Amino acid sequence: MNRFSLFLALTGLVFMTACSGDKGSNGPGPDPDQGATNRKALLTYTVDDIILPGYAAFKVKLDTLTARTNAFAAKPDADKLATLRQGWADAYVEWQKVELFDVGPANTQTLRYYFNIYPANATGIEDNLKADNPNLDLPNSYPRQGFPALDYLLNGVGANDAAILGKYTKDENAAQRIAYLKKVVSKMNLMLGLVISEWGNSRDKFVNCTGLDAGCSTSQLVNGYVLHYERYIRSGKIGIPSGAMTNGVAAPEKVEGFYKKDLSKLLAQTAQQAFVDFFNGKSRRTGSEGLSLKSYLNGLNAKDSKTGELLTTAILNQLDAAAKKLQPLKASLYDEINTNKAAVVDVYTEMQKVVRMLKVDMTTAMSITITYTDNDGD
Amino acid sequence: MLLASVVRFWTKGWIDELYIRPAFFFPYYGFGFVHPLGEATYAVFAVCGLCALLVMIGLWYRWAAAGLFLSFTYIELMDKTTYLNHYYFVSLVCLMLIFLPANVLFSVDAWRKPSLRAGRIPYWTTGSVRLLVALLYVFAGIAKLNSDWLLEALPLRIWLPARNDMPVIGPLLEKRWVAYAFSWIGCLYDLTIPLWLLLPRTRVWAYAMVVVFHVLTALLFPIGMFPYVMIVTALIFFSGEWHGRLLARLGRLVPAMPVRSATVYAYRPAAEKVLKAGLLVFFVFQFLFPFRYLLYPGELFWTEEGYRFSWRVMLMEKAGYAQFTVQDTTGRKIIVNNTLFLTPLQEKMMSTQPDMLLQYAHFLRDHFAGKGFRQPSVYVDSYVALNGRFGRPLVAPDTDLARERDTFLPKSWITPFDDTIYGF
Repeated sequence: MNRFSLFLALTGLVFMTACSGDKGSNGPGPDPDQGATNRKALLTYTVDDIILPGYAAFKVKLDTLTARTNAFAAKPDADKLATLRQGWADAYVEWQKVELFDVGPANTQTLRYYFNIYPANATGIEDNLKADNPNLDLPNSYPRQGFPALDYLLNGVGANDAAILGKYTKDENAAQRIAYLKKVVSKMNLMLGLVISEWGNSRDKFVNCTGLDAGCSTSQLVNGYVLHYERYIRSGKIGIPSGAMTNGVAAPEKVEGFYKKDLSKLLAQTAQQAFVDFFNGKSRRTGSEGLSLKSYLNGLNAKDSKTGELLTTAILNQLDAAAKKLQPLKASLYDEINTNKAAVVDVYTEMQKVVRMLKVDMTTAMSITITYTDNDGD
Repeated sequence: MLLASVVRFWTKGWIDELYIRPAFFFPYYGFGFVHPLGEATYAVFAVCGLCALLVMIGLWYRWAAAGLFLSFTYIELMDKTTYLNHYYFVSLVCLMLIFLPANVLFSVDAWRKPSLRAGRIPYWTTGSVRLLVALLYVFAGIAKLNSDWLLEALPLRIWLPARNDMPVIGPLLEKRWVAYAFSWIGCLYDLTIPLWLLLPRTRVWAYAMVVVFHVLTALLFPIGMFPYVMIVTALIFFSGEWHGRLLARLGRLVPAMPVRSATVYAYRPAAEKVLKAGLLVFFVFQFLFPFRYLLYPGELFWTEEGYRFSWRVMLMEKAGYAQFTVQDTTGRKIIVNNTLFLTPLQEKMMSTQPDMLLQYAHFLRDHFAGKGFRQPSVYVDSYVALNGRFGRPLVAPDTDLARERDTFLPKSWITPFDDTIYGF
């Protein structure tokens, strides 16, 4: 056989297979949708319609929290404490909608560490507020600041409201406590401001790094997103406090918002919903769905090659199953763990199934490698 | 070439990352005595690099080739995690090099010892290297003759769209027909390229094809040195005259080097007989070993019993997740944090390969027995996805891996694959 006939044979085969592929009945469907798999478009939409508006909305809540902190600091009384607590709760809930953007500046600045490492270290906070100029950038300072520290300062420093208020008025450390309260809030403002302004500088670089290798945006976005679900939703909010991950020994004092208690379920639900909204590409500007992991995976035609079920359907169904287990629980997960631990462990079980699908099925379909190392069982 | 590999390993810090820091290694069955030597591992790499250099310049050739084979193979045997077909290939070639007269021209040995020089060497010497290369390609081609590869274009259908942001060809890579074309061409290429390389009339074109094919795979996939190794190796198919001309040209750069000789290299008759018999055994083994999977029940891609050392390259997209629970008779129970013992790469490989799951489970059993667990049982919650099928457990969650033994017998504790992949 000479070269030419080899070439002919090859071309012929290619043509044949191409045709047979098109009319193949089970696995192959239509060509992937070109627009949906354009990663630059996906990244651009994610930054412009989800991440940046998300931060903007959170900043509004943080501004309110800051104003109320200053008002309370100027003249601590029961009314101002009540409005400050409400401002804290509103901002904490809104935070759940941005914590998942663990990519870009939020990742390099480790934003989460300054906002939401819990359980709060109460004795550490007491040490810090007595110290001259505590360094909030040290790892051991992470559980002494952010929302968990505010939770302790506003809800946990006394047995009742009068006792708490007393800590800011009559107590020997009242002035230092007020100063530390302001310091924590101003650190939160500083860090959020840094992240927002850095996005301004790095947005173009981010959306143009379209490779799927570990150094590029899509991989970092997905890694941060999956890590968020595994470590901060499944483990942090449910698995660790319920004891599902620690030999059945529950640790209800490790719930999020421990001192406020009845906010923990709402925080978990908000985080879960924000996770689903991100998957669906729900715009924070318009509220409608746009380019997303869902459209990308559908664009790749990712489905079980055995059953033909769409991967996105399977993932969304499993996320829904987890949300359904979470929904009937008490507003205070602390109470629920103490009285009905099994129901909380059930949530963990469903969330664990989500994690597997994200880490194995989704990343394999996208050709993304999970590069973070998990620390289950720590 | 090999020297470059060693230097690449060293400079990337991989020696430390892969062979010194991990707490546990996955030895090969029967090669448990081969393990990393702490800081001395660097010495092994140094020996390997030095031998590679000596082989290249042809100084103390036979000893250097033996050293190269032993050190390179030792490195490969330290940890299954880094198993790659082309490392195995390099090991085999090094083994052959020990016995082949690759130092008779253009070498320091030949320069020092004129009596060694020879212009021609027996045909079967280069022929055996060609045969090994041909076997590699053909087996790689046979392995592609399965329904996932040919009928579903898997896993290329998953891998190619990942590069859709490449200039020029990017948008094409998303097309379904392109995945099919790549699959079929790749398969035909592997099956027939040795033939085209052997025939003098097609050789040049075939070699061009080798270069294009391997450069393309190098661009598309993260597969390290393999494409370059193959591009250089395929030169063995060119005739002695061609290599002679190449040497003559290279000789102008190093004028002292002997580049031609009228002598025909001859082994001592007894040595030649032994060597030929050895090669025969070697090739019979090479021919049969990749087929050992036929002795195992179940889907090869799923169980991976008989998968390694069989030239199965880039055949499947497999990803997994494995969470171990260790439990003892007193009711103590712990969920294992894999990162305490394994590198991310080890964890990734372990989570999809049953024999490594078992080795790791045994390591955990012994580790926790040492920590006061009484007769620990080890269970795994595993979840593995193969070629776009949704993930499912690779091992039944109620199997106590601490009691299962690692043998060459079929592993009954692997959950059956609930789909069929037809073909080889």
